[in-house]
Amino acid sequence: MRVIVPIKQILDPAGFVVHRRMERVFVNVENYIINPNDKNALEEALRLKDAHGAEVVVLSLGEPRVDDALREALAMGADQSFLLTDEAFAEVDAAAAALILGKAIEKIGEYDLILTGQRALDTGASQIGPRLAEYLGLPQVLEVRKVSSLDNGTLRAKRNWEDGYAEVEVSLPALLSIAPQANQPRYPHGARIMNAYREWKVTTWSLADLGLSEEELSPLTRLQREAFPPERTLGEIIVGTPDEAARELALVLREAVDW
Amino acid sequence: MDFTFPKEYHLFRRMVREFAENEARPLASEIDREDRVPFETIEKAAKLGLMGVPFPQKYGGIGAGEIGYCILMEEIDKVCPSTAAIIGAHTGIGAMAIYLGGTEEQKQKYLVPLARGEKVGAFVLTEADAGSDAAAIKTRAVRDGDDYVLNGTKTFNTNGGHADILSVMAVTDPSLGARGGITAFIVEKEFPGVHVGRKENKMGIRGSQTAEIIFEDCRVPKENVLGQFGAGFITFMQTLDVGRLSIGAASLGGADACLEASIQWAKTRQQFGVPIAQKQSVHFMIADMATEIEALRSLVYRTAWLVDTDQPFSKEAAMCKVYGSEVIHRCIDSALQIHGALGYSRDFWVERAFRDQRITEIFEGTSEVQRIVIASQIFRPEGVRISA
Repeated sequence: MRVIVPIKQILDPAGFVVHRRMERVFVNVENYIINPNDKNALEEALRLKDAHGAEVVVLSLGEPRVDDALREALAMGADQSFLLTDEAFAEVDAAAAALILGKAIEKIGEYDLILTGQRALDTGASQIGPRLAEYLGLPQVLEVRKVSSLDNGTLRAKRNWEDGYAEVEVSLPALLSIAPQANQPRYPHGARIMNAYREWKVTTWSLADLGLSEEELSPLTRLQREAFPPERTLGEIIVGTPDEAARELALVLREAVDW
Repeated sequence: MDFTFPKEYHLFRRMVREFAENEARPLASEIDREDRVPFETIEKAAKLGLMGVPFPQKYGGIGAGEIGYCILMEEIDKVCPSTAAIIGAHTGIGAMAIYLGGTEEQKQKYLVPLARGEKVGAFVLTEADAGSDAAAIKTRAVRDGDDYVLNGTKTFNTNGGHADILSVMAVTDPSLGARGGITAFIVEKEFPGVHVGRKENKMGIRGSQTAEIIFEDCRVPKENVLGQFGAGFITFMQTLDVGRLSIGAASLGGADACLEASIQWAKTRQQFGVPIAQKQSVHFMIADMATEIEALRSLVYRTAWLVDTDQPFSKEAAMCKVYGSEVIHRCIDSALQIHGALGYSRDFWVERAFRDQRITEIFEGTSEVQRIVIASQIFRPEGVRISA
């Protein structure tokens, strides 16, 4: 069994401050991390590895620095990694990104599952999963919060559905996008961290390696303008005596928590 | 000249920092208050290879060397000096003695489970009348057939109450003194005649357990002589040489936590209508802390590099310990001053850090002993021999 996980490297939000009044973003420390929700997808794949001996393959599209994200994925437990990098990939939109990832997945060969994060923290577009499934002609289950079972090529999963969830069944191969609440990603083991840089390799593929031409990547969308959304008041203040407030808070929490 | 860490150490630091924040910090106050060892944290650390960071992977370690081990100690000490002390006694000296002095068989049998964190180690040297003067130990080991029989009482052993594998120093020939007369042994807790005595009621690092260990006709097989017979004092001193460095690293983390907290508090705390971060008296304290921390960081990681590249490091490691412990002393004092009455309150971590810090100037060789080590290294090439 082979599980493929496309991941995205993003700028660590801990390193920048958004100044709304000045409409500027100040980057104090330029650190890059794996998109947190993509780690949920990787964790889900690693659990399938632990339970069913699946081979986990990660791939990522981006600048050469994305190598670090792939090595972190190897350290967490992935078996193989592919970096898709080329100057021609610099300005691609979601449609072209899905095409590049799709070509790479076809080049990797056989697979049973593709797991993606539900959304990226930077763009928040949630497009890669569905577009990739369309390109590869796969059934897709989005916002999966739990993979319930997997046998004989049939996977059952719980996916978020309005205020609750829906239990769905899908035949493999399929694509699942994993919700952030699906799991708590593991820490990489110290020895795997050392080996990820000293022993293991990341395979790099370029435009030519994927048999693509620059024309195929011309964007369908164009960025017009960026703006800052209006400031929101976060949270809700519960008023009343400590007793009343505690009771109210307990009720709110009870409703919010997914038992 | 390149001062950048190889990339694997960036990822390692990030992992350790997340581990420290999520697993060690939430328990730091509780284990101090309740005087209990955080076994749950140690178990989780073991699963990530954090109990065997400096050792090669063939011995169950992660192969991160002293640089990796210093990163670990720095990040853990930022949030919980008790947890750092447990790991330090286990890895930095307990298991380290076996790594430095042990035979291949001993390493396979004892170092592998220690490095994997399946067993806990301790370094058993100090006695009531022998601390800084380590050669004054009285614990005796007498040959009897294929065994040695140990008798004596060891004090102030970190992890002493719960360690499985003890690296122990005992006198095998009183007529020969430190060089020739002292031998190191690997003692399993399960050997007959090993007893845990009283547990110390300490000022700080209360989440680590410091206990007395009593050997009463304890039989240790001759295969468990650690290093050369009669060379135990040297094995132990070499172990302490390396251990010292990591206390400098731990102090660096603790001092950094003081600085960071002081900056944040100074921005928040308003007096005379402005944040105290506007006050020159605070600027000077913050500037001094930051400068000393930066100097310590350079010293610690350069020394770790000396160790990992097989260069002499004895003098520098002693400098890491004495300077580190005194830097964190001054930093916690300034942090407490900046926090004012809040810093003196038991409800806030600064008070605990103040108590936790003090031991760094005492354990694994007092500041005075470190200065003797440094001076003797300086004077030796001048033909001047320094005795304590």
